[in-house]
Amino acid sequence: MTKHKIHDLKYFKVENLIVNGAMPISKEQKKVTVINDAQIIADLLPQKFGKAGKIWVGVLIAICLVGAYAYYRQLRYGLIVTSMRDYVSWGIYISNFVFFVAISLVGSLITAVFRLAGVKWGSPLTRIAEIIAVAAIIFASLIIIVDMGSPERFYNLFIYGRIQSPIIWDVIVITTYFFISLLLLYYPLLPDIQILLRFKQNTGKRLYKFYGYIGSFWKGTPEQFKLSEKAINILCIAIIPVAFTIHTVTSWLFATTYRPGWDSTNFGAYFIAGAFLVGAGAVVVAMYVFRKAYHLEKYITENHFEKMGRILVLLAMIYLYFNMNEFLTPFFKMKESEAEYLNGLFSGNFAPLFWFAILTGMIIPTIILLFKKGRKPLPVFIAGIMVVVGAWFKRYLIVTPTLLHPFLPMHDVPASYHHYFPSWEEWAITLGSLAGAMLIITLLARIFPIIPIQETITEQHETAE
Amino acid sequence: MMDQQNNSRRDFLLTGLAVAGIAAGCNNKKDVFEAGAEDGAKASGKKVKLLSVDGEVIEVDEAFLKPVPHLPPVTNTEARIGIPGKKFVMVIDLSRCKNLKHCQSACNHAHELNPGENWIKVDPMKSADHAAPYWEPTTCMHCDEPPCVKVCPVDATFKREDGIVLIDSDRCIGCRFCMAACPYSTRVFNWGEPEIPAIVASQPYSAETSIPQKKGTVGKCDFCADMTRMGMLPHCVSACPNGTFFFGDINEDSVTNGAETFRFSELIRDKAGYRLMEDLGTKPSVYYLPPVNRNFPFESGLENDKAQNS
Amino acid sequence: MKPLNKILTGLLLVIFLAPGYNGFSQTAQKGSLSIALNYFTSNNQVPSLGVKVKTKVDGRFQNVGGVTMKLFLDKDSAGNFIGKVTTNDDGEASTYIPSSLKYKWGKSVKHTFVATFTGDKKYDAGSGDLTVSRAKILIDTASGRKITATVFEMKDTSWVPVKGVDVKIAVKRMGADLGVNDKPTFTTDSTGQASADFKRDSIPGDARGNITLTARVEDNDQYGNLSIEKSVPWGAKFRMLNTFDNRTLFATRGKAPLWLQLIAYSIIFTVWGILFYLVLNVFKIKKLGEESSSR
Repeated sequence: MTKHKIHDLKYFKVENLIVNGAMPISKEQKKVTVINDAQIIADLLPQKFGKAGKIWVGVLIAICLVGAYAYYRQLRYGLIVTSMRDYVSWGIYISNFVFFVAISLVGSLITAVFRLAGVKWGSPLTRIAEIIAVAAIIFASLIIIVDMGSPERFYNLFIYGRIQSPIIWDVIVITTYFFISLLLLYYPLLPDIQILLRFKQNTGKRLYKFYGYIGSFWKGTPEQFKLSEKAINILCIAIIPVAFTIHTVTSWLFATTYRPGWDSTNFGAYFIAGAFLVGAGAVVVAMYVFRKAYHLEKYITENHFEKMGRILVLLAMIYLYFNMNEFLTPFFKMKESEAEYLNGLFSGNFAPLFWFAILTGMIIPTIILLFKKGRKPLPVFIAGIMVVVGAWFKRYLIVTPTLLHPFLPMHDVPASYHHYFPSWEEWAITLGSLAGAMLIITLLARIFPIIPIQETITEQHETAE
Repeated sequence: MMDQQNNSRRDFLLTGLAVAGIAAGCNNKKDVFEAGAEDGAKASGKKVKLLSVDGEVIEVDEAFLKPVPHLPPVTNTEARIGIPGKKFVMVIDLSRCKNLKHCQSACNHAHELNPGENWIKVDPMKSADHAAPYWEPTTCMHCDEPPCVKVCPVDATFKREDGIVLIDSDRCIGCRFCMAACPYSTRVFNWGEPEIPAIVASQPYSAETSIPQKKGTVGKCDFCADMTRMGMLPHCVSACPNGTFFFGDINEDSVTNGAETFRFSELIRDKAGYRLMEDLGTKPSVYYLPPVNRNFPFESGLENDKAQNS
Repeated sequence: MKPLNKILTGLLLVIFLAPGYNGFSQTAQKGSLSIALNYFTSNNQVPSLGVKVKTKVDGRFQNVGGVTMKLFLDKDSAGNFIGKVTTNDDGEASTYIPSSLKYKWGKSVKHTFVATFTGDKKYDAGSGDLTVSRAKILIDTASGRKITATVFEMKDTSWVPVKGVDVKIAVKRMGADLGVNDKPTFTTDSTGQASADFKRDSIPGDARGNITLTARVEDNDQYGNLSIEKSVPWGAKFRMLNTFDNRTLFATRGKAPLWLQLIAYSIIFTVWGILFYLVLNVFKIKKLGEESSSR
């Protein structure tokens, strides 16, 4: 900066202009003119699938069908079709479950936290976040049923449930979170349904009937808006403790046992930090894909990637901090029961996977995103993918290595019990669940506008003033 | 002793068999009628004329004569409560274990277990780097603060009044949380359909016998709850030729391996009995006597180990 | 010729014994049973017979159930018939001696019990027997916690003490009995008595401190199994501390700790209350919408 006097404004770069404590206005935003309502609606109404969309859906359905066949085999022959055995009694179904629960926290992060903190730029992302949350929580429940040895007795959980069991707490919290996320998807959707109903020619007949069924009563009157705003505020406040609870309780499925690697007081916070990170990563990936697929450059701008990139860095750093607490302190002590487990992770059988997960999941994305060039849409997208992939393997590393280092030696069991690599059925079902979640996201994005139309209109009016 | 048993009256073949049979079989020297006397049968009023030792005819109430029948399994509701007034405890003498694994095969046979599903495992253990290795049989510890029972979501595994922790395979949903929670790795899972004869598989499940095992549920040592109900010892206790397992009621302060009976408190005091992983606070019901003055060298058990653990 | 002699003898032996050895002549289809008899007298009341049937399968003995045998006293004839028994799943069966044999029983002090099995599709015919002399055992206690067991056998018409019989004197416990001191067995002296000092101080008894002492003769060649019991108040009073109904984290669902239930249910109630309110809110909005459209 030059030494011009402070009132000589023309010498200051526009980016550094601070007016009344407001955020610096980027060049891009200042250039963009306010979009008119009709344009917004035209851009944001759900569009029919193009060729790419149809192939995408087809591939997802195919993967789901293979998964369904694998599950049929599992129902028929029992869990013996998996590679899980008496020592590794929890495998990738459970790590996938934790992964899904982690991702579902994105809804509370983007929608609730941003909203309560008054972060305005995040509003186009709320619908994506909620759809991901709903899809993830549905498949979390489904994959946990898949993991049960006797799923036909599922109702026992409700008739004979013990309130002392962490699994019952998990069932309760997941159900609660599902309904809260559903409501948080539904309430802001009501104004958009009104718009969808207005533009009948763009929607098919069946969809039109569906919209009418779920939201024709919304007229947009001030009283209705007042009630809706109040409800959304309550939801945003309520969802945060519930989101914290859901992942803390899921972490307690491990932390309430004695095993090395799981017997940690750190687990609740560790899991939540990881959940926020992978949720943000998932949103970034979805943002980029939808932006490209539906040409939403005007609404999901480069600024959004810039901001989300910074948030990703922050969350990655926090998660890295928790990881260091989780691994360095036991490493310093090297307790007998934990020594083999830790050595296995750092330099043994699990070392390649462990360092891969740390690097891809936290360190490399952070490095990419620390640079301004790295916060452009494409690099952020790549960083997001790395975060999500790293997170999936990280969850696997939470579940399996601990089980392979029990207190008493693995003995008097068949040789296959001493290691674990998932069978094709497990892979098929896991990929099927991931494909299914993506299918739900795709279909919900097809039915509902992926960016809230009414909110965008309202905000455009506000910036115009 | 055997000479008296009239060799001349027997077939050539039977003589040899009888000698071997009486010596080797798990003979229960108990008079079958005596065991029933503890049940406190009520007089039925119907009298039976029998010969007494003196050669006199005496009348005895029929009810007092009933031998202990092979008790049908109790209902699962009764199985959840247990045998009142008793608290079972097991003592394993590590100086006697030679890794013969008779306990394992007797247990597997009695409960119709699948191959590879051993409720009893005999592990080679070493308490420190320069300490000598020994064989350590482990069963379910039937902890007084069982972590497995704490985490079961549907009450499928439960602790009874008499200290035994059982599994109700009709209720288990197969979530395997109990397997993750158990620090002694004692629980096994029926990953596939159990290979048991159809006639056994079609019986209704009894929590005390743990038969028949079901696909998709958890199984573990049950301290042979059906045997203890009849006042008999668990199969592993009777099967070990070295008498490694001692079993009894801590309320009676007495444990036995079938041949020798000791006062439990004295045994633990004199031989410095301890429990596994005491610091975890699970309060197990199985005590171990350290491998002092061993009867066999550790290496004598290695051969037997190869079959399962090559 | 000597080696030839040996060979001839050996050959003759084989020829002579081979017919008796069923194993060769069979095509290994019918098994053979080993039948063992045991004689029990409990509290000198009614003698009973126990039969155990086993068969050898793959070198290991297995109990055989469902085998029906006839028991006889001394002779295998109709007049000496004791009874017909069938073994249970554990291969065991038992019976008493019926009063009809009173005369024959009284005729001599030594008897042989015979069990015969006529054979069926699975097993060859077989039999077993046991010879016992009539005997009885008595137990008495004296001050200073001394226990005396006396064994008598029947000689002609009177009871005569027996010397040199091994007696186990113990406290009755579950599963097996705990010896009253560290000596495992006591042998009767010329007066037929065996004494033991009770060394199990403060052994838990019932609520009043009663324990049952037993004196047993086990598997004696001549006398079979004899046993007798006596209840004495030498034990420690036992109070059962039943924690089964305590509220704990590992109790059944009905006995969950109250603090846990309070926390869990209040959280659930609050959050679901909010959700319920929000769903009602939707209906309120719906009503407002219908009102405004009708205006």
